[in-house]
Amino acid sequence: MVSPAIALAFIPLLLTIIIRCRYYFVLFYRAVLVRIWKDCVTGLSREERAYQYVLTHATPGDPESILDTFDVWCSKVEFISNIGPKKGKILDRLLMEQSPLTVLELGAHCGYSTVRIARSLPLGARLYSLEMDARNAVIAEKIIRLAGFDDDTVELIVNPSDEVIPLLRSDYGLERLDFVFMDHWKKCYLPDLQMLEGSGLLGKGSMIVADNVLFPGAPKFLRYIRKSGLYEWKVHRATLEYSKGIRDGMAELVYQGIK
Amino acid sequence: MEEEEEERNTKKKKKHGSAKREREEREEDGGKRTVKEKAREGRRRKHKRVETSSEPETSEEDELKEETEESDVRPESLTPEELEMLKEAVEEKKKLVQGLRGKPWPMKKKLVTLRESQEFVEKYEGALGKGKGRKLYAYKVMMSKKWMKFQRDFENFKTACIPWEMKIKEIESHFGSSVASYFIFLRWMYGINMILFCLTFGLVMVPEALMGRPYGTIPRKTVPRAEAPSAMDFAVLWDFGGYAQYSVLFYGYYNNQRAIGWLKFRMPLSYFLVGVGTVAYSYMVVIRTMARNANESGVGDDNSFNFSWKIFTSWDYLIGNPETADNKFASITTSFKEAILEEQESRKDDNIHLTRFLRVLANFLVLCCLAGSGYLIYFVVRRSQKFALEGLETHTWWERNEVNMVMSLLGMFCPMLFDVISALENYHPRVALQWQLGRIFALFLGNLYTFIIALMDEINLKREEEKIIKFNITTWEASLYNATGSENSTAPPVTFHPADVPRGPCWETMVGQEFVRLIISDTMTTYITLLIGDFLRAVLVRFLNYCWCWDLEAGFPSYSEFDVSGNVLGLIFNQGMIWMGAFYAPCLPALNVLRLHVSMYLQCWAVMCCNVPQERVFKASGSNNFYMAMLLVILFLSTLPAIYTIVTIPPSFDCGPFSGKKRMFDVIQETLESDFPAWFSKVFSYASNPGLVLPFILLMVLAIYYLQSTSKSYKEANVDLKKKLQTQNEENKRKNKLAALKAQTDLEEARAATQTAERPKNNNASPQRQHAEEEEDLGSSQRKNGRPPPSVRHQDGRPPATRAPVPRTLHPETHRSLGYLPGGGFPQQREPRMHRVPSLQRH
Repeated sequence: MVSPAIALAFIPLLLTIIIRCRYYFVLFYRAVLVRIWKDCVTGLSREERAYQYVLTHATPGDPESILDTFDVWCSKVEFISNIGPKKGKILDRLLMEQSPLTVLELGAHCGYSTVRIARSLPLGARLYSLEMDARNAVIAEKIIRLAGFDDDTVELIVNPSDEVIPLLRSDYGLERLDFVFMDHWKKCYLPDLQMLEGSGLLGKGSMIVADNVLFPGAPKFLRYIRKSGLYEWKVHRATLEYSKGIRDGMAELVYQGIK
Repeated sequence: MEEEEEERNTKKKKKHGSAKREREEREEDGGKRTVKEKAREGRRRKHKRVETSSEPETSEEDELKEETEESDVRPESLTPEELEMLKEAVEEKKKLVQGLRGKPWPMKKKLVTLRESQEFVEKYEGALGKGKGRKLYAYKVMMSKKWMKFQRDFENFKTACIPWEMKIKEIESHFGSSVASYFIFLRWMYGINMILFCLTFGLVMVPEALMGRPYGTIPRKTVPRAEAPSAMDFAVLWDFGGYAQYSVLFYGYYNNQRAIGWLKFRMPLSYFLVGVGTVAYSYMVVIRTMARNANESGVGDDNSFNFSWKIFTSWDYLIGNPETADNKFASITTSFKEAILEEQESRKDDNIHLTRFLRVLANFLVLCCLAGSGYLIYFVVRRSQKFALEGLETHTWWERNEVNMVMSLLGMFCPMLFDVISALENYHPRVALQWQLGRIFALFLGNLYTFIIALMDEINLKREEEKIIKFNITTWEASLYNATGSENSTAPPVTFHPADVPRGPCWETMVGQEFVRLIISDTMTTYITLLIGDFLRAVLVRFLNYCWCWDLEAGFPSYSEFDVSGNVLGLIFNQGMIWMGAFYAPCLPALNVLRLHVSMYLQCWAVMCCNVPQERVFKASGSNNFYMAMLLVILFLSTLPAIYTIVTIPPSFDCGPFSGKKRMFDVIQETLESDFPAWFSKVFSYASNPGLVLPFILLMVLAIYYLQSTSKSYKEANVDLKKKLQTQNEENKRKNKLAALKAQTDLEEARAATQTAERPKNNNASPQRQHAEEEEDLGSSQRKNGRPPPSVRHQDGRPPATRAPVPRTLHPETHRSLGYLPGGGFPQQREPRMHRVPSLQRH
């Protein structure tokens, strides 16, 4: 039988842990508990709820307004791990500098990042967006069309990335990818990157941007790019989307090829 | 340096003939040329000189050089004049090497020059002198070189002799000076404990073990019959009972015999004096170190020109091994980071009201936390007293060890909470460290004093017990005496085995045991936290990272940082316990030396293997004195209870070196009476008369006051002088700037003039010459650009007193005169020569 005094002595430890990890607790509450609760109450999926909110609050045809509405929903109502406004700014800047003509996006989720990329593309550029989940893809399609991007600009492919990447050259007639944005399963970052290398779609100067490399994190991916020597790379340090205290990073890779 | 040299050169030029000037010039800029080139050039110049019709002496000299080159150092074949010449050249080279550092050349050129000059000197130095003399000369040179090498090796050896120096340097280069300061402190503490250990071991433990009565002769040196069966059990020994209790390790074992062995060693006196001596020595060392540190920090002029200092003086040119160079590189980078951070910190200004509010809030929270922990400990101590009254056997292990557990748990967790709270305050890390130290200090102090109060209660209990036992023993002895005496008065008294003799509780040994146990449990806690908190965590983070859903290394648990404040305080409080308990347990310094030794290696390893450098590295050299101040406070606070017990509580009647005396310090009086002549004790009694002591104390206070006020006035004078120097500096800078500006305009004018004068000459000159002309332009422009260096170097905070301001104002003139020596021919001849060589080589 442990005496109560010894148990009381653990209070400082408990307090320390609570304070240290408060952001993670908040995140857990918003991303998991609230989601389960709302799923039970409304009977809709999280993405559908987000779509409803966007539909009722945003101006159709205006990507800016759609993005803002998304940000409001994600920070005030519920949590969806989009790229978020802060890291989005970095992404916008990279796109502006690069002005790529062929862009591949892995993991469209519900279309936030697709809209974000598509709006800063130059004229005549084409964005291929991959989404594995069919239900999410439906939402993403709606959001993209709502933002006013047609089939010529954005092509949504509903398939897992490891199936699509080998077919990009043959089925979609791509010669070279100028820009790749990765925001799907963190475990797939590395195999997909290697697949892209193998497919020969990356040329000198192609840029690959991978979100969430620190939290939830893709350690294998980071280790690989550190070692491979094919890339010039850096990690943009930022915080997790819609949360202040959790550190996260976005990796920016520029393919250099074998020298 | 450079200016001086050139000045000197110009002076010489004025004095000597043109030949000398010529050679000197060549020597000065001859860095790029090996002797061979010189010879070649000389030949070339000879051909050319036909057209330019220069001085004949130079050509002669060149021929000579050529000759020496071709003959490949055969000094026997040289004439005395040639030798003289060679000697002079060697001297020049040496001078060049010496003054090289001040030359405004690129580093590459300097290096090349240095190497070539050294080669030249090495080659021709031995050639000087003739026959025997030459050999002697060569021998001398060789010896001087050997000597230098030996000196360098000796320096290395000296560094290697400082214990753990390389380890600490390595840590410093990786973790910054704050972590290194902890290890330096640890080393310092180790040194002090070593001396304390030598004192107690050499003057108390060893004499008693060798010369005192052996184990088992008298009751205090024997395990009692009741405890004998379990006296060798590990559990008992681990608690320092059984055989460990009845050994030299503890106070109770010592006999009150006045002199022991054939040496007539005064054991009780020695025991007392060592006890006093350890404390006195500690006070002395701590205060002396504090004073020295204060001196160092007071004089330092680091604040101005910080970055220039770092840029120009950071690298250690003596480093010879690549690993050390890497470390040095890392450490310089770290120190730059520190400096930049410091600069940023000093520039920062935020919302002051918000910060103030947050700071007050943080302090409030910390106070709440302290009060809570204090109450908890108080509660636990009260409860444990209640348990002790009821009898410990009826309670569980948890309840019996409640006080220790709660104390160590609070000591472990509360600092973590403080750390989290201090994030609110937004202090500079060094200040934050001091706050953190202060808070943990308060916490530990509370814990320690609660412990002492509990001990005091126990001492009182033991003394009550002692009274009863004393009474019992007298009745026991009386009954014994009666039993033997009534039968037969002449029969020898019945002897009892010492283990059977009843004895008192001996509170001194009890106190010693408590302290030893505390030290042991503290050490265990430290090592276990180190192994679990750092090592296990590092292992988990490293290897679980392969199969975890987020990045453990960069993300949440990460590797731990080295906790400087906690470790320093642990060390300081540990030392306080040693000081407190050393009188009652002479083994404590030995234990502490062991502990420090182990923790030095363990922590060095742990910090290099499982910790990451702090995110905000900072300079902690200033905090050394803070540690010292805390140590002093702890020293005072820990000697207080020890002295109190020594002075007020009478020693136990049947154990320890002072048994049978009223007070422990009576031993001094006893020695004075019996070991010294009568007059001495008389003098002593006079001297200890309050009428003499009070004036003496008064005098001391006055002296201290006087010294303090003088030191204050010196400090003020220092500050004033510093200010003066600074203003003077600024003035000089201004003057220099003006002079430089003037010199520049003059130079430009002069160049324009010479160019217009030369234009017609250029037309019929060879293309080579034209090239040289360009080169000259380049060179002069370089010279022009090279103007700023004096002022720049002046800025970087060299102690201004070393450079007299007067010659500096002269420099521009000398420069100018160098830049365009009137008479046209000379500068052009000189500059082209300087630059033509490489261009020719290129062709």
